[in-house]
Amino acid sequence: MQLATSVLVSASDVTRVFGEGEASVRALNGVSIDFPVGGFTAIMGPSGSGKSTLMHILAGLDRPTSGSVTLDGVEITTLDDKHLTELRRERVGFVFQSFNLLPVLDARENILLPLSIAGKRPDPEWLAQLIDTVALGDRLDHRPSELSGGQQQRVAVARALASRPAVVFADEPTGNLDSRSSGELLALLRRCVDEFGQTIVMVTHDATAASYADRLVILADGRIVHDGEAGAPGDVLDLMKAV
Amino acid sequence: MRKVALRGLFARKLRLALTALAVALGVTLIAGTYVFTDTINRSFDRIFSESAKGTDASITPRQAIDTSDSGGTAPTVSRAVLDRVRRSPSVANAAGSVFDSGTVLGKDGERVGTRGAPNFIASLADQPRFDGFTVKQGRRPASPDEAAIDAGTADKEGFALGDRVALSADAPRKEYEIVGLTQIAGVDSFGGTTVVTLTLDEALRMLGKRGFDQVQASARPGVTPLQLRDELRAALGRAVDVRTGQEEAREQSLDIRDSLGFLTTALLAFAGISLFVGAFIIFNTFSITVAQRMREFALLRTMGASRGQIMRSVIAEGFVIGVLGSLAGLAMGIAVAPGLRALFRAVGVDLPSSGNVIATRTIVVALAVGTLVSVVAGLAPAIRATRVSPMVALHEGAAPSLARPSRRLSLLGGLTLAVGIGLMSVGLFGSLSTNAALSFMGAGASATFLGVALFSSLLVRPLAAIVGRPLEAMFGVTGRLARENTMRQPGRTAVTAAALMIGVALVTFASIFAAGARDSIASAVDDNLRSAFVVQNVDGFSSYSPNVLAAVAQVDGVGSVSGIRFSQARVRGIDGDTAVTGVQPDTFAALYRVDGEEHVRALAPGSVVIGKGFAQDHGLRTGRRLQLTTPSGRRVTVAITGIVDDKGGLTGGVILDRGQLERDFGERKDAFGLVGLASGADADTVQPAIERVLEDRFPEADVLTAQEFKDDISGQVNQLLGLIYALLALAIIVSLFGIVNTLVLSITERTRELGLLRAIGTTRRQVRRVVRYEAVITSLIGALIGAVLGVILAVLFTRPLEDFPLSIPVVTLVVLLIAAGIAGVLAAVLPARRASKLNVLDALAHE
Repeated sequence: MQLATSVLVSASDVTRVFGEGEASVRALNGVSIDFPVGGFTAIMGPSGSGKSTLMHILAGLDRPTSGSVTLDGVEITTLDDKHLTELRRERVGFVFQSFNLLPVLDARENILLPLSIAGKRPDPEWLAQLIDTVALGDRLDHRPSELSGGQQQRVAVARALASRPAVVFADEPTGNLDSRSSGELLALLRRCVDEFGQTIVMVTHDATAASYADRLVILADGRIVHDGEAGAPGDVLDLMKAV
Repeated sequence: MRKVALRGLFARKLRLALTALAVALGVTLIAGTYVFTDTINRSFDRIFSESAKGTDASITPRQAIDTSDSGGTAPTVSRAVLDRVRRSPSVANAAGSVFDSGTVLGKDGERVGTRGAPNFIASLADQPRFDGFTVKQGRRPASPDEAAIDAGTADKEGFALGDRVALSADAPRKEYEIVGLTQIAGVDSFGGTTVVTLTLDEALRMLGKRGFDQVQASARPGVTPLQLRDELRAALGRAVDVRTGQEEAREQSLDIRDSLGFLTTALLAFAGISLFVGAFIIFNTFSITVAQRMREFALLRTMGASRGQIMRSVIAEGFVIGVLGSLAGLAMGIAVAPGLRALFRAVGVDLPSSGNVIATRTIVVALAVGTLVSVVAGLAPAIRATRVSPMVALHEGAAPSLARPSRRLSLLGGLTLAVGIGLMSVGLFGSLSTNAALSFMGAGASATFLGVALFSSLLVRPLAAIVGRPLEAMFGVTGRLARENTMRQPGRTAVTAAALMIGVALVTFASIFAAGARDSIASAVDDNLRSAFVVQNVDGFSSYSPNVLAAVAQVDGVGSVSGIRFSQARVRGIDGDTAVTGVQPDTFAALYRVDGEEHVRALAPGSVVIGKGFAQDHGLRTGRRLQLTTPSGRRVTVAITGIVDDKGGLTGGVILDRGQLERDFGERKDAFGLVGLASGADADTVQPAIERVLEDRFPEADVLTAQEFKDDISGQVNQLLGLIYALLALAIIVSLFGIVNTLVLSITERTRELGLLRAIGTTRRQVRRVVRYEAVITSLIGALIGAVLGVILAVLFTRPLEDFPLSIPVVTLVVLLIAAGIAGVLAAVLPARRASKLNVLDALAHE
């Protein structure tokens, strides 16, 4: 079996219904999708298309109403909270729109937080490489309030990668950044895929951001309406308009 | 506007409940105290007025000085007075009666009732109409070998008609057959005391009295009690007091109220402490919620709400919390009043109660104080709420930033602290009356606590580092986060910790004070007691029959015996009453060390020696004459023949010959007996021999070695300390609610962070740990500051006391710190559970 084609995250016939009865909303409607190792996938879609819900379910933050999800060979829809927590700790990294750094910890401590929580020692070589990659060398002793938005988000990326997760989920990672910082951050994510073979799934509504990905998935009304090469920002926009 | 405030308030039910509870607990103690003491007072009122029902006029000995508290010999009304009363044309009937303390032995041979619950021996009046009681079962005693006992005691001790009960008082132990069970005012218990009634002659013999404690008279038809009273006053002169029956009952009630008044004051002081702590919590809760709701206030401002409206809405919240808390406190106070009684009974003070008395005053004070406290505590946050700029509403919500300790607040804290210490110094060193001094010290202590609380936001960081480090070393990142969390809002942590600090400081203070008291008594005993044994009443403080020491002197192996008696005198030119001690000059100095013992040895009737302190206070020298007024109103002039220094503190200001004390002061009973061994006698055999004699004849007295005597006093100090601890526990519980409240509010604030922690793989358990350690660190900060402050206060307060040994009870302090840590864990249970139950997705989406 070739490494490049092995499936890391897989959703099969996933449906998610919020609420009950007449007021219920079908956020996902029978979505099946596979994410291979080492891929950079962008998920797009208009508001309410279910893209965030899909990501939450893929990451084990939310449970589908029906269907199954495997992550790194583990069926996660039936895991209890304890095992889900472990799974997140060991195999999943997150990057959020609003950075979500702990204000009381400095940049280095924030990066190391997932390892500290898991009670693991950081691998110094990996850490050095990581810090080098996110280019924060001189800001490591600063607290989040002393960092710019772009710097904060780079810390968040380093944090997501610190425990060498199988997959990183990024939820609108550039949503709170200006265009220059956005570009830097997306380039950083790209490098992580190219240099470390990191698998990344990114939810975004920014066509430019999506163009950094290898693959573009578009959702509308809880269904996948497009799944293919990402291409240039213009192509992405055209695809979105079509939806 | 009001709607917004109230909706907001009730939307956060847990916070509302916790904050209201902080007020409620203090109010509980206020209401409980009033209900408790009102109930006691009413019980006594009923007992006295019921027992005076058949009496139109009451004749009692006039006392120049009230010695009833010292438990000594009370003056009596002579038989000649009774004869004169009987001869009065307006009197239909008159009878004399006695009522005084004695010792009643239970079936187990031990004194009835816990230590301190009085035992009384009373006489029947020879006219049943004058009896203060009714016979519930059986009949009145008719012979010298018969007795009636109150039905309450009979029930508790398992006495039934036909059983035998042993008494001892002035006369040696004697057994009586129980022929009647008595009631008073329809209640079995005589106000928690034990009363055994004998025939008049037998009671006189038992109590060693020649006269009566009271003569009661009834008026002939057509003569009103007032007329009878006035006639008897004219006939009997100034040696006795004549009152109508109801006046007498009121007089007795007032006496009891007076002696219980300090109890009310003390309990209210503890209630005040709890409320003070509660005020901290309300202040903190409001500060936090106001800070969290700044955007809401800003939004209201953009919509045109005035600053006044914002302020009123916050104050309205404080008012509602105060009213709700006070109402809850009132209800709980009424419920716990019997619990207070149980608490006092546990330390040996059995007080009567019959149903709860809920006076209007109780309700008004409880509601007013509780509401006022919470409105005042919410004032500063309310003012802060008005300062918000409407612009805040337009900005994107920034994550709560780190707050630096405010320099201005710390400065204010330092000033308040200085004012507090100044006030305390005035109270301590200024020459003020006791009440004024206590008020100054109380106000000073409050200001000190407030100042430390404001100032301590500067201490939070270093202290959190000190107490947090071990946690961090042991538990890694959870400990680290907990420590950082306590340091984020130092002011908030400081006020939360300060609430606990107050309780801990007071506990520390009390324990140091008590340890010092124990040590100083122990060293006084060690340094000054030369006798082998001390004889004292089994209750530890009452005086006892002079026959006791006479009997002890007869025991083989006993060398010398020296009795010590206490009384009071008014000294001309000196305000207030002066303690007078009667000693046996020939034996005293051999058994007890005072500097200047040759003066004591040379004491003769007409001469006195005075204590060094008394001499200094009033500028007295050897050779001066003193004019003393004794309790019976007699005036005697004595010459000062020497000044002694009694480092043991056994004797009072004026020391005179015991014979003179008996003759002029009417004091027949000994308070202490010092017993020396005959040469060659062995203490280990003599003590049991004395014990046998006492058990056999005078079970009211005990013989103790110096060590036992010290232990006995330590025991009394410890009991009092236990009571103080129990009452301070309330303040500490209130402060724990403060920790719970602060944590709950902080967690709401950090919802997103908690969501993030969970998202990146923190287990629920780890989240709980972070919260728990934060609580532990906060409470340890409070306990540390409190312990240090308590030590400082104790040093300050004991400085004016000469020779007060100051020892820091390290073990107690360590136990206190550990207990504070455990308390922190307990306080964290609920907030930690809340934090760990947060849904990850909801938490991440939380604004």
